[in-house]
Amino acid sequence: MLKHLAGRLAEALVALVLMSLVIFLLSRVIGDPVALLLSDSATEADRQLLIQQLGLDRPMWQQYFTFLGNALQGDFGQSVTAGREDALELVLSRLPASLSLAGVALAFTLVLGILLGVLAAITRGTLADLAVRMLALLGQSAPSFWLGIMLIYVFAVHLGWLPTSGFGGPAYYVLPALTLGLFTLAAITRLVRASMLEALSSEYVKLARIKGLSEWSVVLRHALGNSLIPVVTFMGTFFATMITGAVVVETVFAWPGIGRLAYESIMARDFPVIQTVVLVITAFFILANLIVDLLYLAIDPRMRAAG
Amino acid sequence: MQYHLKPRRRAAVLGASALALLAATPVTAETLTVAIPTFSEQTMTPWAGSGQRKTYLDLVYDYLVYIDAEGNAEPGLATSWEMENEGQTWTFKLREGVPFSDESCGTVTAEDVKYSLERLIGEDSRAGPASTMRRVIDRAEVIDELTVRVHLKAPDFLLATGYFGEAQQLGIVCKSYIEAQGEGADAAMPVGTGPYTVAESIDGSEITLSLREDVDHWRVSPDFDEITFRAVPEEATRVAMLQAGEADIAPVSFDSIPGLENAGLRIVSAEKTWSPVIRLGGTVQTDPDRFNPDNPWADVRVRQALNYAVDKQTIIDELFHGQGTIANADTPVAAWNSVPPYPYDPEKARELLAEAGYPDGFEMRLKTFTTTPGAELPLMAEAVALYWADVGIDVTIEPGDWPSIRSEWTSGKPLDFAMTHRGFPFANPENGVEAGFSTKSLFASFTSDELETKLAELGAETDPAKRTERLTDIGHYIRDQAGAVFMVLANEPYGVGSRVGDWGIDTSYVYNFDQAELASE
Repeated sequence: MLKHLAGRLAEALVALVLMSLVIFLLSRVIGDPVALLLSDSATEADRQLLIQQLGLDRPMWQQYFTFLGNALQGDFGQSVTAGREDALELVLSRLPASLSLAGVALAFTLVLGILLGVLAAITRGTLADLAVRMLALLGQSAPSFWLGIMLIYVFAVHLGWLPTSGFGGPAYYVLPALTLGLFTLAAITRLVRASMLEALSSEYVKLARIKGLSEWSVVLRHALGNSLIPVVTFMGTFFATMITGAVVVETVFAWPGIGRLAYESIMARDFPVIQTVVLVITAFFILANLIVDLLYLAIDPRMRAAG
Repeated sequence: MQYHLKPRRRAAVLGASALALLAATPVTAETLTVAIPTFSEQTMTPWAGSGQRKTYLDLVYDYLVYIDAEGNAEPGLATSWEMENEGQTWTFKLREGVPFSDESCGTVTAEDVKYSLERLIGEDSRAGPASTMRRVIDRAEVIDELTVRVHLKAPDFLLATGYFGEAQQLGIVCKSYIEAQGEGADAAMPVGTGPYTVAESIDGSEITLSLREDVDHWRVSPDFDEITFRAVPEEATRVAMLQAGEADIAPVSFDSIPGLENAGLRIVSAEKTWSPVIRLGGTVQTDPDRFNPDNPWADVRVRQALNYAVDKQTIIDELFHGQGTIANADTPVAAWNSVPPYPYDPEKARELLAEAGYPDGFEMRLKTFTTTPGAELPLMAEAVALYWADVGIDVTIEPGDWPSIRSEWTSGKPLDFAMTHRGFPFANPENGVEAGFSTKSLFASFTSDELETKLAELGAETDPAKRTERLTDIGHYIRDQAGAVFMVLANEPYGVGSRVGDWGIDTSYVYNFDQAELASE
């Protein structure tokens, strides 16, 4: 088990370093911040001065290794636009807003998704099943920017029940979490429904029924437990979807998280911040998958035997 | 006052938010809420970022010179000024006894002005005008406590209302306070002489200003005790905030005007503040590296044809909801009022194309993107492409984003495409002319030897009346040469809620939310 964990950690580190290289190169393909920082009537001399100040006159490989070396010591550089603010500090300051939103969204989608999935499976072929499946289809096909704006108009403008946007108390979480979570909700619902249906027609469930267990016990204890394993498998991906989906949702709802920071830094070609945001998101992605692996060990006896 | 605090960070707010009420907090009677697309860098010193920060910094800092609605200079922190030495020496007399918001700073002195200027034009300055100001300004000299003299490297006859005016970024800071902050000055709470101070700055989310109680401000007596700025990038969300009463003032797009008016909100427009235009790349005739003679529009007749072929009034009516006038230039310049715009004449366009050797038209690429303001640029590109198709020109529209397109545009290569652009945000028209049409500007897309001579003559002219004459002549020349496809001198609409009484906005470079009046109940 320890060996397994150590292996995963080593993989994670390699992934992070590779990611740093990819994002370093990609961010430089899309242009540089120099053209944006220069005023409209700037001259060639102004441009050369700025390039030198930003250290962009050095060879690319040198820039990368400087970045990597500093990053290993926890120095991700200074934002080129944000008043020379520390890039890591900037990203970390925006992180709680994104994490709390993703957490709320993930929690509600898990609870609701499992409930709806089970409901659809045990009422298979009825109107309730159809309604849940329609909802799942809608959830996976509605674009989040459209959905977000529609929710704002219905619940904030017309009904006046909730604030339109912004970051604050619990009421501020409802609409963005709903928007952020609907896609995942649909995915979990479909996943649970499908694996429940499979479990319900399995031999062990048949055996449980023959033994005369109550239907509730069959569904909740025997079928559901096993149906949740695929949900756990996808948890890491779901969480990552929430963080990346935040780019759109945080823009629509004026939510000051890292999704919006990522978007703003890309628009400003703020290399240090882009690199830091992406690396932090990557680190979360890897961490989420690591946690999933550990959860696996906890819930699946076969893994423990193998590990 | 909490001047020494860094802007409060998210973590602290997160904890507090758990205790917040479930319902949205209603705005109190004295708070004005302004929703704007971006805070830009959200830094607080004039030199640490873009002019977009003027939306909030204009209420915290004062400028040396103000400009009235007619464009005339009004005394600011400087009560009088004098130009000598053929525009190369300027002397400013300062207003006496204007207190900074931090007691330890005392009142504004010539030292503060000198320091503010030096920081703004310093090599590490991130302010938009810094590089051009560096070329013009030699040094500042303190004559006495309330007199400062500025020596220039080249004449600038508009220094007071231009670079030193309220439309630019020379907000006056307190020297001792900034020096005490050291490295952290850009993020520290700002100390200025304006009517408001920053009470709280939440990164990427909210900036709250409080009205100063320690002064009877020399310039304004605001109605609102607090002004809260909220960064709301999505326009539809800003419109929803106006409708829900969560915001009192917000910039909106032309498409939102009918809906807002139906909902009982007012529209207040800053008139002719930006100028959608189509720039024709590679026509830098004075620079062999950047001039592309293979473009059909290297021929003046083709450029004129491109102007004649577009029904600009229809585009204004349909895309801009009538909020604009047909452009005669790429920048709204008063001296160019006599310059006639190109009329819509597709027949003439076809004739000119045939004369230039393109009776069947040609193919061209048109790059487009959105900005704020400027959400309409891609639609404008589509409309223009249809009009051009009508005279035989086959346009391929390439949507992109401004940073990429701008990088390509200023790359110094001979460009072979055109782009939509929002015009220049220059309060001083001469800077706009230089940026678009002078060889020394990386951004320029049309230049000629004749125009270089005219610009040099304008630069050397000391007589104000003759300067205006020369500027007008330049306007006519650029129009006749069709230096771009001039489209619209467009307004910039703001949605205004019922809590706001009288409020108007003249330009997009000066923000006067401190002058918004509270509506009488």
